Parts: sequence; structure tokens; C-alpha cells
Amino acid sequence: MPLGALFEGSVDALERAGLDVAPLREAGRRLVVGGGNGTTFITTRPSDVPTYVESGAADLGIVGKDVLRERTPDVYELLDLEFGECRMVYATPEGEDPTPAAIEHLGAVRVATKYPVSAIEHFTATGRQVEVVKVNGSVELAPLVGLSHGIVDLVATGRTLRENGLVERERIFDSSARLVANRVSHKLKAAQVDRLVDSLRSPRP
Amino acid sequence: MTEPAAAPPRPEAPPPAALPEGSRDVLAVEAGELTVIERALSGVFDRFGYREVRTPVLELAAVLDRAQEGGLGQVFRLFDDRGRVLVMRPDLTIPASRLIATRMADHPGPVRVSYLSRAFRPPPAGRAAAAEQLQAGLELVGPGGPAADAEALAALVEGLRASGLGDFGVAIADVSLTQAVLDGARVPGEAQAELRRALAERDFVAWRRIAEVLRPPGPAGELLADLPALRGPGALERVAAAVPAAEAACARLGRVLELLAVHGAIDPVMVDLGVLRDWPYYSGVVFEAYAPGAGAPIAMGGRYDGLAARFGRPRPAVGFAIALDLLHRAVVAAGASDRGARPGVVLVGGLEEEVAAAAAARVAGLAVIAVPDEPGWGEALAAADGWRYVARRDGAGYLVHDRLRGVTVACDRLEEALTSAT
Repeated sequence: MPLGALFEGSVDALERAGLDVAPLREAGRRLVVGGGNGTTFITTRPSDVPTYVESGAADLGIVGKDVLRERTPDVYELLDLEFGECRMVYATPEGEDPTPAAIEHLGAVRVATKYPVSAIEHFTATGRQVEVVKVNGSVELAPLVGLSHGIVDLVATGRTLRENGLVERERIFDSSARLVANRVSHKLKAAQVDRLVDSLRSPRP
Repeated sequence: MTEPAAAPPRPEAPPPAALPEGSRDVLAVEAGELTVIERALSGVFDRFGYREVRTPVLELAAVLDRAQEGGLGQVFRLFDDRGRVLVMRPDLTIPASRLIATRMADHPGPVRVSYLSRAFRPPPAGRAAAAEQLQAGLELVGPGGPAADAEALAALVEGLRASGLGDFGVAIADVSLTQAVLDGARVPGEAQAELRRALAERDFVAWRRIAEVLRPPGPAGELLADLPALRGPGALERVAAAVPAAEAACARLGRVLELLAVHGAIDPVMVDLGVLRDWPYYSGVVFEAYAPGAGAPIAMGGRYDGLAARFGRPRPAVGFAIALDLLHRAVVAAGASDRGARPGVVLVGGLEEEVAAAAAARVAGLAVIAVPDEPGWGEALAAADGWRYVARRDGAGYLVHDRLRGVTVACDRLEEALTSAT
């Protein structure tokens, strides 16, 4: 279970699928919570979800496509849960886009991001050189103070970008919450996994 | 006068316990457990008539690169003194195929070879993956039908049973079956490539999206979106009913399952069309084995009828490789590894005064661990290395202490005490 933005949506989705999620709602700061029917919920930061699932410490996980693109864990991506929708974008300050000039004069554009893999992939695929600066928070700050020309970041409504005077220039990919499974659990617990996938997929009221 | 140039700063020497990423030592307890598993596996391979071969760690890159369309990918490469690129073998199927196609080109067949060797792969950045993997596997070259697939699978199942695993599963799919569905549903070539990529990345979301955009008419179209998620009893029937073009492939896989039942190896096996990977490499069945306690498949295999031709001697082939580290992890998780004291006797004075007694006991088949006759030596060594007995001279005979039961018995000769104690 991913803590943070996807947590509520994940709990709701599991509840609609018929799981007893009451213990999860009352978990407080506990990281491991027993659910009904032999289910155990593990809560962790979203970027660690693939690690737990890949190793088999968790059979299943819910995580954003952005994290999967960035980490490329060796797991089964079973289902688009259709919540937590957002997009990975390239954004630069309002006014004239500094990107073409940066590439013309400096050979490369400097981009700050929490997602270096996605950023490098995007600029390489579009034939442009890029210098990626890895930052861990408040990416919007970087172009405002001259650390970079632009940013690659995840955007849901675009409000944070606007408030910081940034403009979306390129859409890189769309993201939403995904159900992922460990390679071994997906086979050894096939019946349980398939049942959950079916009930998560069935049309919602 | 100028100052003498300062010595360039030396890179800090790593501590003596440091090893390259992905490498590790194997100590005595683990090595002993691995040996037990290796013997169990090779016993099974022997009973199917597979003979062990050994290939070199270093191979010519130009030769091994033939095996796969895009070359070998991530491997350790180095140069020899003539500037040729060498690789450390990244798996054992490819070298075994090379060996069979070249050294055994005249063999009447079926060729049955097994191997127990190490393969080397640079660990991906930031992942705790081993650079060195001990693999046990086999190759059956010559026969191309479902009977050969069934034998290879039966040997895998029997091998895993013999290794002490109780609970494990084997999932099986078939490249030609999935291909027949795509062709039967008239999926255009470009979309097929995208679907293949989705399957290789185990991304069922992408597969479904592509399939829903294509939406071929009829029952084949409905089936296509679900295809990688199809598994279990009834999966083959459902495919054959929806896509007549795939009927023959379904019947073929069904025959493999029938024969596995006759082999007595069907219990852990399940059809699962989602296990496909490396599409261009495999040509028929593809399978993986799983066990609780190992987060990744403990064995992988399949049919690769095109591989031998790349080394100049086309012949159908099926085989698999078991990752012994992962299998061992699963055996330990299953509690099947022997955790008791090892049945050896630490003989105080066995290094000098008691050499004759030690030699006699060894002839009788006992492990005798000799230590000098000094205070404290026997017990300390037995505790450190996990030996069950400590013996010391007592008059004309010996006092043998059984550490497992906490009793001491007196006897004339070492062998006696041990046979009576067990």
C-alpha cells in the first residue's frame, strides 16, 4: 500500500473489491496491519512498493505508473486501477521557452527532476542532449533560481506549476495507479490473485 | 628551489572484507547444503540418462553473440592479448548448444547433456543481484515433439522434488500457441511486435490496451485482451474454441500435459499463458518454476529449435536451468535443510597420539576431525563447526561425548560408540 497521494484511492479500490479495509483505515502509524481472510497490509512510501513486491516480501502492490517507469522492477503489471491520474511533463518558466536556445548555444538543456530515468529517456528519444540534475523535493524551485532551464515532474492539476510561474511544454506520459504482482506469488497464489484482479476490474457501482 | 611534488593522493584501499558488487563468499554450512542439492539434482539427471559436460568460463564474443538477434546484452567482456573480445558465459544454454552443435555434430541423437556450472552477469545498478549464478540444467537435442518437452519437464519436476522442496509450482506456456492466436486473429505485424514487448515486460495493462485498440472481430477479439491472463484448467479449451487456427498448438500443449501425468510429474504443473518471454529465442514451450521463499523463478526453460542452427547444426532442442542459489533459499525456507549437528567426531590427540585410531575410524567410514591434545580444543572446535561428537582417550578406550543428546559413553574403539549412539 503506497502512503501519500495514492493511499485513499487504494483503500477505496480494495474496499469496492470486497476486502475488509477497516484495519487499514485505523492503522495510524503502524506499518504492518492484519486484514481479514489472511490478508496482511504493508504500508510504505510509493517508491519502495516495487522493491517489496519484486523481492516477494509483498505478493501484490499498488503503485503509480510513474514509479514503475522510473524503477522498471521485474514484476507483473496486472491492472490499471484508474485513479491517481496524473502526467509526467516537461515544464519551463513562463514566456519564451528557453529550451531551443539552451540546446543551440550550450548543446544541452539542463533539467531538474526527481525522475532522472524518465527525463533522460524522454530527451534521448527526442534526439536532444540533456543534463539531468537530481533533486529530492520542490523541483519547481530549480528553474526559478537558475539551477536548471526546466523541470520534469509529475503533475495532477497543474496548480503547483502555475503558482510557480511554470508552463507545461511537453507531455511525456500519463500515469495512474497500477496493481503489480510478484513473479512467484502471481503463480503460486494464482487463484487468490485472479480473484482479486477480477473483483478490482468488475464495473463499479 | 622548488618544493618536491606531493605524492598523488592514493585511492583509499578497500577493507579486506570488500568484494565487487554482486559477488559473495560461500561458507561451509551453505556450501554443504548446496552440495546436497547438487547431488540430488545430478542423481535425477543421471537416471534420465543425461551426461554432464563442462564448458569454459571464457568464450569468444563473436561466437556466443551469434546466439541472439541483438547479441548477448549485459555480459562481462574482456580482451585477450590479440585484442579479441571475450565474454564470461552469461548462461549455460548457449555454450551447451555450441558444444552440442560443434563437438557432437555426428552424435546419432537424441543428445542428452547436463551441466552444473556458474554463469556470470553484471548486476544491474542499484539492485541486489548476484553477478555469479550457479546453475544446474540439461539439454535434450534431437526430438522435437511434445514427448521431448514432457521429458524435460518431468526431469525438472523430479529434480526439484529430490532437492527437498515440498511446495513448488511450474507454469507452462507455448510461443507457437500465442503466435497462432495472433495470426488467427489477424493482428498486423507492427502490433504483434508491441504485444511481444508488453509480454516481455510483463505489462498486462499495455497488452490489454493494445488489444482493445485492435479489437479484431469475433471470439478471437474477445480472447486477445485476456490472453496473457489465461491460465489453469480450461485455458487451452477456451483458446482452441475461440481461435480455430490455434487448435493444433493447443492440442500439442495438451499432449505435453498428458505425458507429464504419465511421468507422474503433473501435480505442480499449470498452464499459464503469461509466462512467455524472449519471444524470438524460444520456439515452443516456455516454462518457469516457483517456490515459496524465493522471490524470483527458481528455474526457467523452454524449447529453442532455432538455436543450434546458429552454431551450424540445426536440431530441435529443449532444456532448462535451475538457479541453485534460489533453489537453496527455497529449500531453507521450507525447513528442509539439515540443521542438526553433523555426524563427525572431534578426536582430541588425533593429530599426533591418536593417529592410528583416527585412521581406523576413517576406514570404517566416519569423519574424524583431529585436534591437538590441549585443554579446551575439542569442545571449541566441535561448537564452532557443528560436529556432533567429541572423543578423548580414557585408559585403554575412549570417552565419547554426544553434544546433541548431552551424554557421554565409554567404549573400546571409536566406531563402536558412534554406531551405538545413533
